Amino acid sequence: MTPYDERTWGADMDLFLQRLFDALTNGSTYALIAVAMVLIFKATTLINFAQGEQAMLGAFIVLQLWKWGIPMWGAVVIGMVFSGILAACLERTFIRKFDPADHLPLVIITLGLFLVINAVAAIIWRFDPLSFPQLFPSGRAVTIGNARLSWYSIFAFGSCLLVLFVLQTLLTKTKIGLAFRAVSSNLESSRLCGIKIGQTLQFGWALAAAAGTLGASIYAANPVLQIEPTIMLRALIFSITAAALGGLDSLWGALIGGLTIGFVQSVVVQYIPFIPNEMTLAAAVVVLLIVLTFRPSGFLGTKTVERV
Amino acid sequence: MWVSLVLFFLLVAFAYVDVGSIAIGSNKYNLSLIRLNKAIAYSVAILGLQVVVGYTGQIALGQSFFFGTGAYISAWLVADYSWPFLLTLVIVIPSCFLIGMILGLPALRIRGLYLALLTLGLAALFPTIVKLDSLYKYTGGAGGKLTTNKITGSQYKFAPPSWLPLDEIAQALQKIPLLGGYFGDGPLSNREESRMWKFILFSLVASLCFWLISNLIKSKPGRAMRAVRDNETSAAVSGVNLAMTKTISFGIASALGGIGGMIYVAEVGIASPDDFSSLVAIYLIVGLVVGGVGTLSGAVIGGLVYALIPDWASSTQSISFVPQRWLQGPTGSLILGLLLIVLTLFMPGGISTAAKKVKNRFVTIQSRANEE
Amino acid sequence: MTDALLKVQELTATYGQIEVLHGINFEVRPQEIVVILGANGAGKTTALRALSGMVQTTGSANFNGSEITNLEPDAIVRKGVAHVPQGRGTFPELSVEENLKVGAFIRSDNEIKTDMESCYETYPVLYERRMQSAGSLSGGEQQMLAVSRALMSKPILLLLDEPSLGLAPQIVEGLFERFVTMNQELGTTMLIVEQNAQIALAMADRGYVLESGEIAVEGEASLLVNDDAIRRAYLGG
Repeated sequence: MTPYDERTWGADMDLFLQRLFDALTNGSTYALIAVAMVLIFKATTLINFAQGEQAMLGAFIVLQLWKWGIPMWGAVVIGMVFSGILAACLERTFIRKFDPADHLPLVIITLGLFLVINAVAAIIWRFDPLSFPQLFPSGRAVTIGNARLSWYSIFAFGSCLLVLFVLQTLLTKTKIGLAFRAVSSNLESSRLCGIKIGQTLQFGWALAAAAGTLGASIYAANPVLQIEPTIMLRALIFSITAAALGGLDSLWGALIGGLTIGFVQSVVVQYIPFIPNEMTLAAAVVVLLIVLTFRPSGFLGTKTVERV
Repeated sequence: MWVSLVLFFLLVAFAYVDVGSIAIGSNKYNLSLIRLNKAIAYSVAILGLQVVVGYTGQIALGQSFFFGTGAYISAWLVADYSWPFLLTLVIVIPSCFLIGMILGLPALRIRGLYLALLTLGLAALFPTIVKLDSLYKYTGGAGGKLTTNKITGSQYKFAPPSWLPLDEIAQALQKIPLLGGYFGDGPLSNREESRMWKFILFSLVASLCFWLISNLIKSKPGRAMRAVRDNETSAAVSGVNLAMTKTISFGIASALGGIGGMIYVAEVGIASPDDFSSLVAIYLIVGLVVGGVGTLSGAVIGGLVYALIPDWASSTQSISFVPQRWLQGPTGSLILGLLLIVLTLFMPGGISTAAKKVKNRFVTIQSRANEE
Repeated sequence: MTDALLKVQELTATYGQIEVLHGINFEVRPQEIVVILGANGAGKTTALRALSGMVQTTGSANFNGSEITNLEPDAIVRKGVAHVPQGRGTFPELSVEENLKVGAFIRSDNEIKTDMESCYETYPVLYERRMQSAGSLSGGEQQMLAVSRALMSKPILLLLDEPSLGLAPQIVEGLFERFVTMNQELGTTMLIVEQNAQIALAMADRGYVLESGEIAVEGEASLLVNDDAIRRAYLGG
């Protein structure tokens, strides 16, 4: 086998393309959860460790609604609304009374929510994997050599862009969106401008949960996956890393971060011989470590991240 | 105070070595020494969290990483090199201390939420590390590492020294009128003796850890830690070496995690990857919070809660009015999560602080009553 | 003598355990410019924050016929009190125009656009930079933006916290001249907290001197300028 063997080269190229397509698929779903985390971080400088579980619960509700005969996209919308309302209630009951500057109680509360939501979902739906309705047309859209880009990947990426555009519009063109950005920019001045802080943050939580539910639904709709209560555990770490990579407070940063993590996972790790396949998680944690240590503001974040 | 505690431990050992279960309705709840040994293991690991989170104020949540590291190193030395368990601490403590210090280095630049993020990431990483093919020789891959001796194929035995008259004590206790029944019947079997000896040994190790840490907290480095927790800037201004204090507290916490891991694996007999997942890291935090952040006694309470509640929850297979299907789910996780939330909302000091408050109130009422 | 627009009685304010204001009394009459003078740490900023509902208070503050001490900050804004905090308090990540829109957050009438244009007329530099982020403005421009933003809520009473802080003297002069014109044209009542006693007293109707959380001196601005004690303490001889 010489380096100039064309057939091998072609196969290598196919493999590379296929991995690139995988990167796009995974990256898009990570980005959707990362966007949810970014929304909450922007407003409260809080990382919601329960974000993934809230999204998972939302996706299960979507599944349940679909099983009851509601058309799937209708089920997705109702599921998003439901998890939005749930998140607003969670914010009101558990989050608002704490001082946002004191991180430990908030971390603990979101970890508690993580456990509770996970357990509730497992009690209701058990740990058995269930198949999720197809949200997108099945089959391949583009075939290059042996590399296949499925419709699913295209739609997953497309939905990710769509969500970002919708959020962007919501935050820049509506009054509550403007209030939300004002609160994340300067809390005290927002109060002095007559903005009701609690309600605005509640709106942020609802928005984040809705986006997360869409993300988890799309993730679970991946033809190679099934839905189970632990589905978001792994995805959560990738998503957190994606969010941190993008800068934690930048929506578009979350997309770039998600795609980068997808790329690292599906492409980079595959080409470094001494890193075993299962180490993609490690790669993500190492990326997280490097970003937080050397460039806490990530790709696109504002440079106010806490430092000693 | 300490003497009475030791006596209490011994009594518990004799009482629960064999029977150790209560039945409520149709549910059986285990109280055996196995649970208590696990509780000791968790307590020591939570004690580590107390040092780094409770006293130094660093939100480092990945204790399961060091718990696992200690367990694996210990299992490896016992199985492959026929070391006795306690001796493995000679390796476990320094290596966990060092790894903790090294992994704690980024924390000099990262804090608050970011540290929480990173340490939980580390915790999630541990199972995948020990499952690595290249480490299979040492870790046993996904199947876990048995502590069974490789050459002889037998388990390490915790044999009580011959001068310790466990058997005689047991028999003497059985003769106590009325209460004697609680201490079983007849002489102790070998298994019972070894289990009891294990419990005594582990209690001693744990007590030593608690004693050392309680002294540390009162000493100069302990004051430095609390200064860092309360206000980093003013601590630095008053001459506390922030980097040193933080790194050392990470090291101590990790070493304690490793000791807990050793106890755990000595009790369970196998180190398996999923016993050290990020979920375990979260459960250990539950232990930290439930007992009370920044209290030593909180670590004991936390260890008991972690060892007993999930186990009891899964033993509860029937409660009237609750569908059985629900009880078969992860009710333990649900209860621990609820505890975490409810305690943070309503009892920020945890059980140990609340108990102190009740005691104080009682004492003041008493003294007032005396004055009148 | 007209009825006071704002009448403050025995107002105390506490941060945690520490009481910063120990029961102060003062009043602001309609269309007046009142200045509160005092050294660093005298409690000037706290006095304004207390009026805006940002700190724990006891005592009473009656604004325009209703008690405001027990209200949330957003409700106080809705009553017609606008507050320009110390250090400008703009929204650095938002554009100049968005800053003004946030200022008008409590309003839903159709005049917002017109009012925004009149802000731009007053400060043409803000118009030039309306798409730029507020964080990119100079200190003087930020102060203009902060004042304009506060005016966007159409306040009856404007609270200004050390508007001169960190600005060059010429800029301060221009800024304060605008305050006087605004006061005359729009009839906005102003309560200004300042360390720069000279320029503040020159434009104010009346003044109070706050010392260690208590009102030490009060009187007509023209009289305070000539008060020996004040000259020595705040006017540099």
